Amino acid sequence: MPTALRFALRRLARALLTLWFAVTATFLLLRLLPGNPALAVANPNMTKADQQLLLHQYGLDQPLIVQYGKYLWQLVHGNLGVSFTQQVPVGDVLLNRLPWTLLLTGSALLVTIGVGIPLGVLAATRAGGALDRLVQLAGVVGQSLFVPSVGIFLLFAFGLWFRVLPIGGAYTPGTSGAAWYGDVLRHLILPCLSLTLLQIGSYVLTLRATLIDALGEDYCALARAKGLPNRSVVWKHALRNALLPTTTLVGLQLGFLVGGAVLTETIFAYPGVGRGIYEAVTQLDYPVLQGAFVLLAATVVVANMLTDLAYGLLDPRVRTS
Amino acid sequence: MTTTLAEPVADDAGAALRTWRAFRRNPLGLPAVVIVLVLVLVGLCAPLIAHYPAGYGAAVLQAPSAAHWFGTDNLGRDIFAEVVWGTRVSMVVAVCASALAIALGVLVAVIGAYFPALDGPVGVVVDLVLSLPVLPLMILIAALAGPSLPVTVLVIALFSWPEVTRVVRSSALSVMPLPYMDAARVIGGTHRWIIRKHLLPAVAPVIVVSVVLTASRAVLSAAGLAFLGLSDAQSWSWGRILFEAQQSGAMSSAWWTTLFPSLAILLLVVSATLLSIAYNDARDPRTRRRRRPARVPAATTPTAED
Amino acid sequence: MRRRSFAALAAGALGAPALAGCAPSAPAGSRATGDTLTIATTTDVVNFNPLVGNSRTDYWVTDLMYPRLLTIDADGNKRPCLATRYGYSDPRTGYYELRDDMRWSDGKPVTATDVAFTINVIKRDKPAGNTTFGLLANVTSAKAVSPTRVELRLSTPDAIVLREVGFWMTVVPAHVYGRVESVARFANTADWVGAGPYTLVSAAKGQAYTLERSGSYPFAPGGRPTLGRVVFRVYPDVNSEILALRSGEVDLIANTLPPAQVRILSRTNGISVRKVPGLGYAHMAYNMTRRPLDKLAVRQALAHAVDYGAIRRVVLQGQGVSTGSSPIPPTITAYADSRLTEYRFDPAYSRKLLRQAGFREDAHGRFAALNLRLIYSLQDAVTAQWVNMVASDAAKAGITVTLQGMDRNTYLAKTDAGDYDIYAGNFAIMDDPVTNMALTYLPKGAINYSKVDDPELTGIITKALVTTDAAGQHDLMAQAARIVRDNVYDNVVYLQNFYVAHGAAWTGFVAKPSELLTVVDPESLARVRKLR
Repeated sequence: MPTALRFALRRLARALLTLWFAVTATFLLLRLLPGNPALAVANPNMTKADQQLLLHQYGLDQPLIVQYGKYLWQLVHGNLGVSFTQQVPVGDVLLNRLPWTLLLTGSALLVTIGVGIPLGVLAATRAGGALDRLVQLAGVVGQSLFVPSVGIFLLFAFGLWFRVLPIGGAYTPGTSGAAWYGDVLRHLILPCLSLTLLQIGSYVLTLRATLIDALGEDYCALARAKGLPNRSVVWKHALRNALLPTTTLVGLQLGFLVGGAVLTETIFAYPGVGRGIYEAVTQLDYPVLQGAFVLLAATVVVANMLTDLAYGLLDPRVRTS
Repeated sequence: MTTTLAEPVADDAGAALRTWRAFRRNPLGLPAVVIVLVLVLVGLCAPLIAHYPAGYGAAVLQAPSAAHWFGTDNLGRDIFAEVVWGTRVSMVVAVCASALAIALGVLVAVIGAYFPALDGPVGVVVDLVLSLPVLPLMILIAALAGPSLPVTVLVIALFSWPEVTRVVRSSALSVMPLPYMDAARVIGGTHRWIIRKHLLPAVAPVIVVSVVLTASRAVLSAAGLAFLGLSDAQSWSWGRILFEAQQSGAMSSAWWTTLFPSLAILLLVVSATLLSIAYNDARDPRTRRRRRPARVPAATTPTAED
Repeated sequence: MRRRSFAALAAGALGAPALAGCAPSAPAGSRATGDTLTIATTTDVVNFNPLVGNSRTDYWVTDLMYPRLLTIDADGNKRPCLATRYGYSDPRTGYYELRDDMRWSDGKPVTATDVAFTINVIKRDKPAGNTTFGLLANVTSAKAVSPTRVELRLSTPDAIVLREVGFWMTVVPAHVYGRVESVARFANTADWVGAGPYTLVSAAKGQAYTLERSGSYPFAPGGRPTLGRVVFRVYPDVNSEILALRSGEVDLIANTLPPAQVRILSRTNGISVRKVPGLGYAHMAYNMTRRPLDKLAVRQALAHAVDYGAIRRVVLQGQGVSTGSSPIPPTITAYADSRLTEYRFDPAYSRKLLRQAGFREDAHGRFAALNLRLIYSLQDAVTAQWVNMVASDAAKAGITVTLQGMDRNTYLAKTDAGDYDIYAGNFAIMDDPVTNMALTYLPKGAINYSKVDDPELTGIITKALVTTDAAGQHDLMAQAARIVRDNVYDNVVYLQNFYVAHGAAWTGFVAKPSELLTVVDPESLARVRKLR
């Protein structure tokens, strides 16, 4: 038990450290790099005195250490502050966008795993064959895609030429009820496809490599020697071990679930957190940016815990190590 | 006098030859090398291939023709010339960012692996930086620091080195307990000498792979920043061509303004990635050896061919 | 065991979304009858409070709800809107007479109390980014003397305050905005009360903003706005907007079209393109606190080393007009002076001027002393194009112009710090020559980017600020414009006329000048109809 407790405490410490690091890094970046939020809302009539007044309203005229202390104090009380430009609590700003991001990145992750694992197995069991080469090549090409290029191509093809899918947004304003859910799904297809294309390569390639290794191990040879059908050797014995690195990958991806789709959300006008961050950058809305990065760091922490959990389930040795 | 210690070095020629043979067998390896070399050549010889795209032309947004192979943009400039010169800038950015990331990443990794006391902190720092959301932070820093090529390079390097450290560190850690490292220490070699003569050569292949992968990711990151208007708007990078197509609304009507720079990005990143995968497979004796048993199940399926 | 491994993976994949437990939920349906006009825009609504708002979409959406005292016609003249008449009862007292037939959407009448409240609360709370605040500098207070008359007390005589405040200020309901502690911190995110043709009913950030017809609107045909619903949808850029228009997803693009797209879209089936007169201009300011730009000959040499005609032909595709190098847009016909002529493009003449001023060319024909840094915003797509032409033209005269494009915030910071040799940019609305000259060419003017400090010019502008007689003001402005042109205190490159695109099935749009008003102005949208 003490080992388990120590393990849990160490994890907790790491989680807190990760959060603190992200919070502090963002705070310092915003304050130390050039950029003046008063100018971002400037209009031609604003005098220097008005600017100064605005900075005072934002609390940016205080010493750095005071601002930092106040910010941390607010944060431990669960207060993310109020947006400079929108005058609403940062929590509301982010919660408006979070569901859409989770829907988009979550569904992309599910599709990626659902398609990526069979593809990886297919490639590994036919290693060196033409199909394997094709899957590998497709994986590499997917990883190498430039999101805006893919996005505009998909929009042209499905939005304009075939006219089967919408150009942008998460749903058509004015729809309601059951039709609304169908509409949301239609709007989800292109951004989800684009994200999946992008992610799937690393899953396929990782799984392929580890599975080839696993299939070469003695226990697989033994299983085969015992006369087990090839299919069951692959799916039951080899895959179980080969899934560990894939789990790591899922964990990493989970961490970037919230902020990892800036370009995709921008191209497809998807109202998620990533695009919110980009907009907050253009408006120099410090509280929103700080809040967003806290949210992202928290996602990473949660993802790390889930990964640890999954590892524990997959490989009992981890728990004691 | 160093013969006993030169064991891994003496083996180099043979290993290189074996690697090359394995590399050649990979049908994706050689084409990838050729494409990368051609692109490097295009980048180097840009002035010989096309005039620097500057000023303006009378024919704006013209579709590809004999006069303009890739068509013209919203100011009537030749997109072929932009892509050719873009190759140069995009590659320079990628190489600089990757070199910086590698230098920093390898340094941290080697220090961590070589001095066990520092390994813990190094691991924590790497984990922390790896857990930061990369693209949002890149956007933030580039926007605050003001867009320019050096900022682009620095920002990309800043978020690329931990990945290098992670890979190199695990490779270095596996080398550290090997007998020849002990031997080097026993004969009283200085830390610097041991690191330079033994540790670095041992992790060199991993570094090579990292260089190529980091550089190819850097191409994408740089294009992303440029596309968002957060990079130097004066030097022709592939990202800038796309940014201008977006800003001028040309993306919605003139496909050629988007297609050719996109293809250039894809071509470079794909071939560089394939190159590093093929090299990695070829140099790793495990994959060379394991290929055979791995194929056993494949041989039982009808599609397999060898 | 095997199942567990998949379960773990699935748990990992589903974990985060499930944990957050917040699936998007369906919005309620709407009861409004009548046609829906869907409008594409590229920025989100940042703020629903028109006293704070700063993005272009803020302006468009809130303008449909909150009335202005005055509006502007195609000739750049101020016309009555909520105010029927305005003037000065003595040099230190101004007044607006209001119409009595406008109502807030909750049924209460729009009165002088609302106008006086709006003016006083802007003075009191100083909302960030409020355009009117600076214009109210000489106003000490406002008072509703009757339900239809507002009086403004002035600290010094001010000839332009009434028409500028009348045009720029949006009137908010006192019975709603008076309830909040500070309007500077009021987000106005629900239960909207407006007095325009349409009022917001729902807002989905990053997505869409839906407005529905208010009861009555005096500027609509028959007093009833023609549309049942107006929906603004947010797209990332003009490319997606054009795709959405072509695919029928939207009916109108609120943003003006990039010049090169106008001809292409006007030839596209099912799409109509409509002209919107410009009311601002693009210009270059030469920072006169930096040597050698303090020398007139250098500024003249620079001004003669720009091929203005080529810029209008190539970048603007013929959609720009010359202002005769005057800072008064020709759109404002009452002030425009057609005698001023544009700087001639003549690099040889530029070289001659420079040689006469004592500059020497090197072996490559370059003036080594003339290496100037020009800043511009990358988000300003049209400027980003013509500055390239400026640089290559300047090279023909032996002048090196180094372009420095940056994102908007950096650009604003550099502008604020005066960190540039040449500033390139544009003003969307220069609706009032007197105000704009005061802001641009008075020594302490907020947009005096050239750092002009010319006593003669200052005298003329200061005099115009207190001259209430229109002919006298026109005359003073003509004198000022000539001084600015002849001394190259500013280099106006062009005035751009804009084009907007809408589905061919729609008609009735009224084009108001400038890219800020365009055809989404309330008076226009109150008249739009769908062809049957």
